[in-house]
Amino acid sequence: MAPVAVFQAAFLLAWLPLSTYQSEAVLSEPLSLSVHINSTQQSLHLKWSVHNMTHPELQMAFQIEISRMNKSNVIWVENYTTTVHQDQTLRRMWKSELPLECATHFVRIRGKEDDPRMPQRRVWSSWSSWVKADAQSWLGPDPLVFPKEKQVEEGSDVTLCYVSRHVQSHVVCTLNGIPVPGEQLDPHVFVVTLRNISFVRNTGSNFFCEEDRNHTQPGLVIFVAKVLEEPKGFSCETRDWKTLNCTWDPGSDTDSWKFPSQRNLFESFSGKNQSCEQKNWCSWQVDSQKIYNFTLLAKNVFRERRVTLLFHLAHRVHPMTPFNVALKRVSATNATMTWTVHPLGNNFTLLCQVELHGEGRVVQQHNVSTWGNGQYSFRGLAPATEYRARVRCATAQHFWKWSEWADQEFSTLQAAPSTAPDVWRSVRPTLGSCNVTLFWKPLSRSQAHGEIQFYTVATELLHTPSSSQLFPIPSPANGTELSLDGCSHQIRVTASNGAGTSPASMMVIARDLGDPWNPGNQTAEVKEGRAQGTGDGVSMSWKPPPGNVLGYVVEWCDGPQDSPCDLRWESLGPNATSTVIKSDAFRPGVQYNFRIYGISPERMAYLLERKTGYSQELAPADNPHVTVNNLTSHSFTLSWEDYATDAQPGFIRGYRVYLRSQAEQCLPGFTKAVLPDNTACCKHDIDNPEQKTFMVKNLQPESFYEFLVTPHTRAGEGPAQAFTNVITTRDQHPRVLIRILLPMVFPLLLLTILCYVKSQWIKETCYPDIPDPHKSSVLSLLKPKESPHPSIMSVRDCVPDALEVVNKAARRSLAEVERPKHDYLHLLPTGSSAGLGPGICFENLTYNQAAPDAGPCGPSPAPHPAPPGQGGLLTSPGGLLRSPSYVNSPGESPAGEAPLNYVSQVAPPTSGHKDSPPTALLELAPRSEYRTQMAVPPGLASPTPDEKSHLWAVSLLDAGGPRR
Amino acid sequence: MDLRAGDSWGMLACLCTVLWHLPAVPALNRTGDPGPGPSIQKTYDLTRYLEHQLRSLAGTYLNYLGPPFNEPDFNPPRLGAETLPRATVNLEVWRSLNDKLRLTQNYEAYSHLLCHLRGLDRQAAAAELRRSLAHFCTSLQGLLGSIAGVMAALGYPLPQTLPGTEPAWAPGPAHSDFLQKMDDFWLLKELQTWLWRSAKDFNRLKKKMQPPAAAVTLHLGTHGF
Repeated sequence: MAPVAVFQAAFLLAWLPLSTYQSEAVLSEPLSLSVHINSTQQSLHLKWSVHNMTHPELQMAFQIEISRMNKSNVIWVENYTTTVHQDQTLRRMWKSELPLECATHFVRIRGKEDDPRMPQRRVWSSWSSWVKADAQSWLGPDPLVFPKEKQVEEGSDVTLCYVSRHVQSHVVCTLNGIPVPGEQLDPHVFVVTLRNISFVRNTGSNFFCEEDRNHTQPGLVIFVAKVLEEPKGFSCETRDWKTLNCTWDPGSDTDSWKFPSQRNLFESFSGKNQSCEQKNWCSWQVDSQKIYNFTLLAKNVFRERRVTLLFHLAHRVHPMTPFNVALKRVSATNATMTWTVHPLGNNFTLLCQVELHGEGRVVQQHNVSTWGNGQYSFRGLAPATEYRARVRCATAQHFWKWSEWADQEFSTLQAAPSTAPDVWRSVRPTLGSCNVTLFWKPLSRSQAHGEIQFYTVATELLHTPSSSQLFPIPSPANGTELSLDGCSHQIRVTASNGAGTSPASMMVIARDLGDPWNPGNQTAEVKEGRAQGTGDGVSMSWKPPPGNVLGYVVEWCDGPQDSPCDLRWESLGPNATSTVIKSDAFRPGVQYNFRIYGISPERMAYLLERKTGYSQELAPADNPHVTVNNLTSHSFTLSWEDYATDAQPGFIRGYRVYLRSQAEQCLPGFTKAVLPDNTACCKHDIDNPEQKTFMVKNLQPESFYEFLVTPHTRAGEGPAQAFTNVITTRDQHPRVLIRILLPMVFPLLLLTILCYVKSQWIKETCYPDIPDPHKSSVLSLLKPKESPHPSIMSVRDCVPDALEVVNKAARRSLAEVERPKHDYLHLLPTGSSAGLGPGICFENLTYNQAAPDAGPCGPSPAPHPAPPGQGGLLTSPGGLLRSPSYVNSPGESPAGEAPLNYVSQVAPPTSGHKDSPPTALLELAPRSEYRTQMAVPPGLASPTPDEKSHLWAVSLLDAGGPRR
Repeated sequence: MDLRAGDSWGMLACLCTVLWHLPAVPALNRTGDPGPGPSIQKTYDLTRYLEHQLRSLAGTYLNYLGPPFNEPDFNPPRLGAETLPRATVNLEVWRSLNDKLRLTQNYEAYSHLLCHLRGLDRQAAAAELRRSLAHFCTSLQGLLGSIAGVMAALGYPLPQTLPGTEPAWAPGPAHSDFLQKMDDFWLLKELQTWLWRSAKDFNRLKKKMQPPAAAVTLHLGTHGF
């Protein structure tokens, strides 16, 4: 390592003195530099020269440094190499983005010989002194904005500054009225940089600044030009072989107000140049030159655009518009057109296009070759028709462009009408004559061949040719009314114009043929049907008749049925079996009637079919008025018999019954439906439009129902109107049942309770464990055969002069049954007591004890608890018998048939027989017991025989119940 | 009516007397020569019409210059517009002006403004705007003529334009485009102010020139009618 270090040190010591010598060998400051400021261009122009050149011509390198604001702030370094001559002044320009008035700049330069002939002396000279470029020193007292004017291309960046002598405060700069941000470069300079500036208007963008303490508002206008576009569609042509007209599309308007763009046209073969004043076209004088090579140059301050075009003049010929266009030899069907073209030279053949327009469209088109004057004959034209003939031309050999059209209008002459008028009729027979109204449609222009002047109607009695009559009807009549003798005529109608008469339209009318106004004809027998609406018309078909027909006629009234008939008809060919009738008068929802006639070979019309239809059916406008009948607890009937089905705006297809109730489920036959107001209900469809009643069944009694009946056509159903309410009646069966059953249940219940309470007694009485013969009813039934009065003594046989008291044992043996019943205390009246009215009963105290328990089968031996003198005594007004007695039992029957009741009998003095009803009947309550006896007034106790029998029956019924 | 010969002579004498004194009645004198009144009225009407016309033209032109010149509150310093005649004047000074001075100032002002306006016409690039400016210049020329007519009717001489004082519009690099726009702005503003002032001037003049109707009656009464 040591030898290497020693070598390096030695090398450095040897090199340093050598380098010092070399640098000092060049000029210490060889360059004299001066700087010039160009404010408009924002540039510094440098000039310098080289002193003490070693050679008269030397290639040198220079280095330039530019500083801004202070010398140390170098913003630009440029190396520049050039060949320098002795005493030459070198120049260099530097453009500044920042306007030079915004800041002071400093420039210095140095150089070195860079000549390959002297490689050993390539050492930079020393820097020149800094040269100051100070544009601010020119400023006046007022602040200014720099640059003073500026033009830039759209999208560029622009730097501007607001410079003042005073120290600035709160500077605000605006561009087109909008504040823009900036920065304070120093206390006197405010710099704004506008990036990507855009085009706003031709008069430029206005920029100005202001500050609080100064209101001078200095500013400038920045002219922004759009980027120049390349011209499009550059093309040249000649129309007269003398001038070339070149056109192009310049694109969008890029010109600013102050710096407009320019255009030049340069032809390379001739070397001619021409400035174009217009933006989009330029003219060029043609000489003998045939081939041209044009260059169009468009330029502005920033750009140039070029387009070129090479062509042969003969290929760019655009002939001028033909002239002298005329129509000659015009007839009803032919015309000849002639024209003249501008001459283009001997070698040019022109191709001309001829067109014929009629009724707004091209009817003929032809091509014609011509040299100068041309002509063409049109054939097959329509008579009395307006035409427009036109012609245009182009070069035949090298087609470039058609000329403009030259045209001429003309009309062909009239001819006789080609078609017989379409005629129809209505026949109205009267006494001995026939009123015939004829209608015909005006001929179309293609049929009339001129203006129709009059129509001729010729009538002729059938089979009598000599009876012909002529009726001329002036145009523009479209019908006439004739009164003819009889209804069998042949009628011929012709139309005439200035050139002749049309073929005749012939028809035959006869009384006995189908006619809608003629009663007794086929009208009533023809088939009636429905026609289908198509929206703008009515479609119908029919069955052709078995015989030959010349054609068909469909006839209708062009208005509603209730308006006067505006008769319309349509004639159809013999093969037609269907058609669609259209009329502007058809209105939706209006019913139209159509009659289809067949035209026989004898030219008679006979009615085939009738059709009814709507051009467009509508939904019914109203719902029927529905009445509710037969309202019961489970059903009701809806009826809308008066709803006119035929008077609706469409064919009624049926009805829809909507029903709403509180029940969730629909009734049988109904389906769920949702109304337009999104409420749910049930519906039932009636498909028969003639069914106008409907019974709603299976309803709940006393329930609330709502219904709506709406008809429907093809177009929909009737309006969603309010529902009608119905409440079903109460159910009748339970009430009837209650009325029947309740009276039966209560007695049964009472009887059951009674039987239950008295079950022991009943058992002992009716079927005791040890039977008692005295209580047996069997014995009482058998006894009458032995003795008719075994137990009751006849009153008539006794004289009550003694009172016998008999002790009665509580129980008797069966052997004592045969004994006379003296168990009773009998107080029988004497004969003198016949005048007594009602009997007086006294309670037999012997039996009182047993009375509560006594049943119909026998008395109880228990003593009566009440004292004898207090037994419910009633005083009779006719006198009192104070003796105990017993009332008659309800079963007061003949003596032999008396039941086992113990009865105290009071024989009325006037009655000799028990069968005869007493005048005063004392009646026991049902299921009589021994009770307190009472006196009953005779009026109350004497029922009518009927009442008596009734009570009797009831008593039997009641008494019989418990015995069973 | 019974007229006697003596009465007729008396009436004739009276009529002659009246006719003799008619030229001395100032109010009747005016009926023969309408004087400057109608001219002043016409000038006043023309001023109002131009005021209306300028409102539309100024709006279009200031939009053409772009913001901030078309902003309503833009009020730049009157830097380069010092050559324009100022319409603003102290109220007392304006009231103290006599008719001649008042008319002279109007005439001079519109002469200058018309010249500047023609320069504006030359600069405008838009054809429609140029047509509007040309139309307005013609109208303003008519106003100048009308003022000259009023001055002539009142017997005032037209102001003499000294050589060199005629304002000449000179396009060139002297003005930056921004200052030029500023001048255009001030020209239109000053023109508008002058039209307002002229309307007041001619209204005042019109009232001054109209004799009160009572004066006629008074003069006639003094002559025994």
